[in-house]
Amino acid sequence: MVSKTLAVINKMGFHMRPASLFVGAMAKYPDTDIRILHNGREIDGKSIMNLMAACIKYGAEIEIRCSGNQEQAMLAEAVSLVENKLGDSD
Amino acid sequence: MLAEAASPVENNPGDSGEAVPPDKDRDGGTGMNQGIGVSAGIGIGRAVVLRGKDLDYSMVVPKGSREEKRRLHEAIASFRERTERDAEEIRARAGEKQAEILLAQIMMIGDPFMVSQMEDLIVQGACAEKAVDTVCGMYIDMFSSVEDEVTRQRATDVRDMRARLLGLLLGQPVFDPRALPAGSVLVVRDLTPSMTSGLGREQAAALVAETGGMTSHSAILARAMSIPAVLGLAGVTERIADGDLVIVDGTGGVVLPRPDSETLDSYRRRKEKLLADRAALEAFRESPTRTADHHEVLLCCNIGSDQDVKAVLESGGEGIGLFRTEFLFMDRSAPPGEAEQFEIYRRVVEAAGEREVIIRTLDIGGDKAVGYLGMEREENPFLGYRGIRYCLGRPDFFSVQLRALLRASAFGRLKIMLPLVTCADELRQTRAILSKLMADLEQEGVPFQRGVPLGIMIETPAAALIADILARESDFFSIGTNDLVQYTMAVDRGNGKVAYLYSPLNPSVLRSIRSVIRAGHEAGIPVGMCGESAADSRLIPLLLAFGLDEFSVGASSVLETRRAISRWTLTEARHLADEVMKLSSADGIEAYLSAAIEDHR
Repeated sequence: MVSKTLAVINKMGFHMRPASLFVGAMAKYPDTDIRILHNGREIDGKSIMNLMAACIKYGAEIEIRCSGNQEQAMLAEAVSLVENKLGDSD
Repeated sequence: MLAEAASPVENNPGDSGEAVPPDKDRDGGTGMNQGIGVSAGIGIGRAVVLRGKDLDYSMVVPKGSREEKRRLHEAIASFRERTERDAEEIRARAGEKQAEILLAQIMMIGDPFMVSQMEDLIVQGACAEKAVDTVCGMYIDMFSSVEDEVTRQRATDVRDMRARLLGLLLGQPVFDPRALPAGSVLVVRDLTPSMTSGLGREQAAALVAETGGMTSHSAILARAMSIPAVLGLAGVTERIADGDLVIVDGTGGVVLPRPDSETLDSYRRRKEKLLADRAALEAFRESPTRTADHHEVLLCCNIGSDQDVKAVLESGGEGIGLFRTEFLFMDRSAPPGEAEQFEIYRRVVEAAGEREVIIRTLDIGGDKAVGYLGMEREENPFLGYRGIRYCLGRPDFFSVQLRALLRASAFGRLKIMLPLVTCADELRQTRAILSKLMADLEQEGVPFQRGVPLGIMIETPAAALIADILARESDFFSIGTNDLVQYTMAVDRGNGKVAYLYSPLNPSVLRSIRSVIRAGHEAGIPVGMCGESAADSRLIPLLLAFGLDEFSVGASSVLETRRAISRWTLTEARHLADEVMKLSSADGIEAYLSAAIEDHR
């Protein structure tokens, strides 16, 4: 298992569009599991429903945990998406 | 007014209707049918009632997990197919933003985690229906309980998704709005996006629903399609039967099932009148805005979002006289950045083409607090830290908006307008910030229009009194009557005890307007008006007489205003104004104007 803790920096947080971009990218790793820890809860990073329901907002600190065959690559892509504001312009 | 006449009843075969006596039992008395009128106009037609379908699956016997999984995936596939088609259609008819709601449902149904939760239940022995119901129910609870308003609304999407999946699994016929008989009044519990997507003015004379309100998705769509609609009418699907003749008054929010012949006649006459009025107004859509003696003025529109430009162009507006940018900053957790603002401003000026667009910088204060802006509750929000004061107090924050505006100025005829100005210094400080930003942009090689006009709202007595001073440094004026009346009369219109003082017809307000226009003209700058008064038929001759250059009104008032302007010659208007300005009270002026306007017709 690999993990990284970082802050959400796009201003709208994980609303629908960023969340769908995120889960779309994570779907490319079928054999690897991704969990997001936020506010003491663990969320499946491939589930748009659970990501949206978690209301992860601007400035929130999250921990991303990946485990499985492609855990390094998956974590790198997940981190890069969040650091690049999940496709939002702000 | 626009939507009223657009109600689609003329070619309505269902409305051959003989009236039936009102059925007191089913009506449960009168007064029960007052709902929320969300889309104006009168629609008369035969009811098609869609009761919440019976989605009872207790009789379904699971046929083994393999078969139930197959049924589940089949239902999901047809759900997805239908929703994609509907989204495409809504995008074509009502725009990208409206289609997003359905796109959200497509995204949700593709959630592998949710589908695997459903499969797990099937493996444990549930039928596909039970699996869908349970898992969707869980997400509905989850979304309903969050604090975030936008996320909470997702519960409605999941509810719609659940009902449609269950309908598919139970083999119920899919409701197809395209198959409705022409001129039907559609009566439903919830007006879901999937119902309205295929609906056109040909099929629907009107829409009635038990749930929803002014801002609900279905209301927005109804207005976009000019279908009269009344929402929020609890229990209405029980009180109206299929085939009932129904009158829907989307303006008054009233639904009248099985009207007696007298009522029916009176509504038909009202409808005829609306249609006739509409036809007469149509003549003003393409014509220039001018007085009876061919003196032309500019007739523009007030908008609150980039989505509104379409309505302006369709209504015959000649430009945007006021774009309120507040909406950009509301209902979110952080301010929009430069890129986001730039995109929106650019879209608006590009859509407006040759027409000019006046964009007002953020006008926000203690009365409409935005959480993340860190505004404090104030004792006197209308006299406090708001409008241009707030923006100049936070120059870095203000610069983001100004830079976005400057960049957008390269794409059309953009003008910048400042709210709540009370002294020349506010204008000077803003110019200083703009100069610096222009220098930056130049250095970065980013295009902008160097001479982008900077104007101000005249909405305080202070600004009105020094209009001659401000006119030397401002490129244009726009009189904001709502605030000008409030500040001039020192009256809070929301306070019932003093609201009688709130009228633009007070001599003080009229003198103020007259002298502001005069001061503007003496300095050679144009003067507009963007408050409600610009569309007030009593004030219009006075404003013409004072020499107002530009009227900015709501898109739905364009034709009325253009017609009202066309009724006067400048000579008549000036004569009227001379008499009015001799009068000493708002009541006297109102009475005089009403009589004069009546005479004039």
